[in-house]
Amino acid sequence: MLGFLSARQAGLDDPLRLRRAESTRRVLTLQLNQDRDVDRIHGNGINTLDIEVIEGRYMLSGGADGVIVIYDLENSSRKPQYTCKAVCTVGRSSRYVHKFSVETVQWYPHDTGMFVSSSFDKTMKVWDTETLKPAEVFHFEGNVYCHHMSPIARKHSLIAVGSKDPKVQLCDLKSGARIHVLQGHRGEVLSVRWSPRYEHILATASSDSRVRFWDVRKASGSLFTLDQHNGDKSKAASESANTAHNGRVNGLCFTGDGLYLLTTGTDDRMRLWNSSTGENTLVNYGKVANESRKGLKFAVSRGCSPEFAFVPCGSSVAVYALHTGELVTMLRGHYNNVDCCEFHPDYQDLYSGGKDCNILAWVPTPRKPDIEDEERGGKGEAQAAQNPAFEDAWSSSSDED
Amino acid sequence: MDHAQREKLSELMEELTTSGEPQLNAEKMKEMKKLCKVSNDYIEYAYHLIMTQLAQEHAEIRLSALQVAEQLFSRSHRFRELLVSSLQEFLELTVETNADRPLPPPREVAHKLKTLAIRTVQAWQAIYGQAYKKLALGYHFLKQVKKVDFNDVQVRTLAERKRQEEKEKRLERFYKEKVTKAVQEMEEASLDIEQCLTEVENCVQLLAPHPTDFNLGDLEPASASQTPTSASTGQHGRSPALEDEQPCCSRDLEDKRPAGMRVVEEEEDEEEEESETEEVSEEEAFIRSSGLMSHGYTLELDISTDVRVKETEENEAVVTTMKDLQRLISTKHLPAVQSWVQVFTKAGGNEALLRRALDLKSALEGALQRHKELHIDYKRREQQVMKAGADEEEDDDLEEVPEKEGFEPHIPDHLREEYGLEPAASSSSFSSSSVQPVRPAPWAPAPSRRREYDEEQDPTCAAATLRILKQRLPSAPPTRISQTAGSAVEPQGGEGVQNEERDKAPVIPFGLDLYYWGQEQPTAGKIIKYSSQHQFWVPNEVEEEVENPELTAQVKSRYITFAGRFQPVTHKCRAPMPSGTLCERQDRVKCPFHGLIVPRDDKGIPLNPEDTEKEKKRHEEDQPDWRDPELMRDIEAATGEDLGSSKTFGKGRKGSKGKGKGKKKYPNLTDLKQSTNTSRSRLERKVFNKSAMRRVTEAMNRMDRRKHEKFANQFNYALN
Repeated sequence: MLGFLSARQAGLDDPLRLRRAESTRRVLTLQLNQDRDVDRIHGNGINTLDIEVIEGRYMLSGGADGVIVIYDLENSSRKPQYTCKAVCTVGRSSRYVHKFSVETVQWYPHDTGMFVSSSFDKTMKVWDTETLKPAEVFHFEGNVYCHHMSPIARKHSLIAVGSKDPKVQLCDLKSGARIHVLQGHRGEVLSVRWSPRYEHILATASSDSRVRFWDVRKASGSLFTLDQHNGDKSKAASESANTAHNGRVNGLCFTGDGLYLLTTGTDDRMRLWNSSTGENTLVNYGKVANESRKGLKFAVSRGCSPEFAFVPCGSSVAVYALHTGELVTMLRGHYNNVDCCEFHPDYQDLYSGGKDCNILAWVPTPRKPDIEDEERGGKGEAQAAQNPAFEDAWSSSSDED
Repeated sequence: MDHAQREKLSELMEELTTSGEPQLNAEKMKEMKKLCKVSNDYIEYAYHLIMTQLAQEHAEIRLSALQVAEQLFSRSHRFRELLVSSLQEFLELTVETNADRPLPPPREVAHKLKTLAIRTVQAWQAIYGQAYKKLALGYHFLKQVKKVDFNDVQVRTLAERKRQEEKEKRLERFYKEKVTKAVQEMEEASLDIEQCLTEVENCVQLLAPHPTDFNLGDLEPASASQTPTSASTGQHGRSPALEDEQPCCSRDLEDKRPAGMRVVEEEEDEEEEESETEEVSEEEAFIRSSGLMSHGYTLELDISTDVRVKETEENEAVVTTMKDLQRLISTKHLPAVQSWVQVFTKAGGNEALLRRALDLKSALEGALQRHKELHIDYKRREQQVMKAGADEEEDDDLEEVPEKEGFEPHIPDHLREEYGLEPAASSSSFSSSSVQPVRPAPWAPAPSRRREYDEEQDPTCAAATLRILKQRLPSAPPTRISQTAGSAVEPQGGEGVQNEERDKAPVIPFGLDLYYWGQEQPTAGKIIKYSSQHQFWVPNEVEEEVENPELTAQVKSRYITFAGRFQPVTHKCRAPMPSGTLCERQDRVKCPFHGLIVPRDDKGIPLNPEDTEKEKKRHEEDQPDWRDPELMRDIEAATGEDLGSSKTFGKGRKGSKGKGKGKKKYPNLTDLKQSTNTSRSRLERKVFNKSAMRRVTEAMNRMDRRKHEKFANQFNYALN
């Protein structure tokens, strides 16, 4: 650390280098922190989380009971102990609340005054954050599994919607209408993602085990389909040609720079694809348990030198090194299946929500005092003095016999 | 970490967790704590041991492991850290958070384990919840997701509670239905019941008015209240109405003393009167006027409500009604009312209905009670019924006799004279009169002999016909003889002897031999064989008679099997058993386990020395010298083959070998396999045995194949 600092002072290093090193270290020390709590509002499982990118302060959560909550993540109390307060809630008592489970929530990428939620009640609602009333409601024929707005789009304001219907719908916020349909999938669309690099590029994953790339300007069809065998006909059975997984593909995530795409499927595999060529990079992540019948929301870190993927895996969150496929650690804290996780790029915090109604905050442990500090006062003792619960309590009577 | 210490730790853990007891052994626990205290390494090791024990599929092991964990948790920070880090598994294994992994049997212990685990988590949360985040999370998870009510002693999961609620709801609905049904029934039946009750009341009034109905308060003669029905009561003296006719004081006195005493007293009274006529004092006057010796008498009026009603012709109708009503109440109304009461009490709530039903019930029971108190004497009627039955039986006997021409089996008593027959012996012995018509004349009593003879000369009277009949039939039918044998030998011996004899005589089923008793049957045992059934064509020998000696014998003889009388075995085998008791088997000659039964003393040792020797010899045969158990075991251990040593000699050394066998590894734990070792499972093992199944299928296949071979050329069998 000191080396990095001095090199930065001397101007030898790129400023990015120090930042990357520190954030990587922080990600590697992610831990369940007892100082950070998130209010328990949801009475049911939590399906989706989203942190806005403008300030990085507010987090949206959607629950299986249709409730949407906005949390304030900022700790302004200047104390380590902090509970993320729920700023406002679209509760069951609200007139506009979703009838069924909310599957996806997303902030409007350019302003916190608006967010979009889609639900199993076959609607997608565009909310005004100020009044907590829907400004626009889109109705669909089937359950809506997911939707996504391009985080970088300047020329369009399209929301891609994946539903039970194999056609991917494009809704325009400008006109408030469903303007376009992307045909090609043969199963329900479980996940849609806009590329963070090219605003017209869209990736969709479906239960027909295919992942398609689209250019929304091109009307005729998809750009290409991801093939797990990279076109090697000899390895692929005829029906598994051009498939990304052997089961349903239920999770999609671009890396921060948009160069790679990570997909998960119910064949308990996770694959990393080159998003420009559609080539399978053949990184082996091992078995990634995945039983979700709905879309799976997972996250990829940003700003670390080897990037990390945070994937819900049963009742824990698995942290993988993105390019090597190495399992770094398992974050265990939930008591039931984890459905979603969201990475906070500024503070390297991770938030995860699961069926046990908890939103857990995984916070990097502060750097341990250096050797010189430790000499000054034993850290362990200090901690013990701080909290009597950490002390051992061996009864003295057991000495006697 | 010292290897020996580790060994000891694991040993301790095993002993603690497999004790099968609800509480831990304090000594061992102390020892364990002492070991763990030394260093965190030991704690880590102990933690792993506990987790492995918790994963065992036995609730008792888990319970003990949980208790150990509880002990360590409260003491060591390191242990807390470790346990909290894997609290998910811990809860899964103890609180059953995962529905796919239910707690292992036995069930009661599993329930206990769950309760204890939840209490423990709650206690931990109270103390350490602040410090260990995951613990708090787990607690909240249990509380909010699994809906564990920590205040509820009966720890129930959400599903269980829901099920319970549903059950309650269903029951409630069910009861509601039942109640409405019962109310309806009650509405309909209450009129009937009330009518029935009034009828009973009236009947009782008619038969025997209740004592309270009389004016017993005043001692005036209340003969006016005497009802005609009370005259028919059995005990006149007891009837209050009759008692009133006597002076009120003396009647109680009479009741109190025995008859002899009474007479003596009366005499004394007379003597007194005679001797002391002169001195007339007040006392005497009292005595004279009242007949009592002193003023100090206390009078106890024992008015018995114990009435006995005899059925007579006069009250027959009332009694019949009464009886019908009683039957109606006891069979129909009372059960119905009882069921209503049950329904109402179970459903609860509606008290008015319940009270009404209870009132009805008590009224009905009161009616029954009153009926009982009357002690109506139905005996006469029953006797009548019985007699009628007896008559019918006798009639059956009569029918067996072939009816002869001009012979009248029934001659009414009052017409017997006219028919020229002597009167029947007595009307009471009606049962025996059925045989009389055919009784031979010479056996008849002597006095009327002469007149009888005259009568016999008159061809128009029945006696003559009878004589002719008798002459024609030299001997009476054998059945009749057997029946009237007693009277034949001793014509005037009276019915008593005859009946006695008849009682003694064995009852034999009627057979051919009796039918042809004393007659030679020419055709007996001959079978006619028709060699041809043809209409026209007839062979040379038209018919062929074959003599069958068996059939002949059958006609003439009768087999009676004499099996003797069953005598229960009173002795026991009493051979000493390995358990220390004596064999309790009661075989007649030979015990299937201990051979011939010989007399033995209290300790099961044969009394005869020869028997002892024989027994020894038999034992030696069982265990030949070369099959020395120790040697066998050694051989088995060396070769690895099972020579059957454990089978033959296993019984004796089970305790010594301890955990030699897998099954008896932890003798203190509840044996989970025991519940599966039922007669059904054992049978299943036999019946669904692979080889047995194969045998059965083979046999069935063989049968099928045979059918195929037989009917192979028929199309409808060819296909299957």
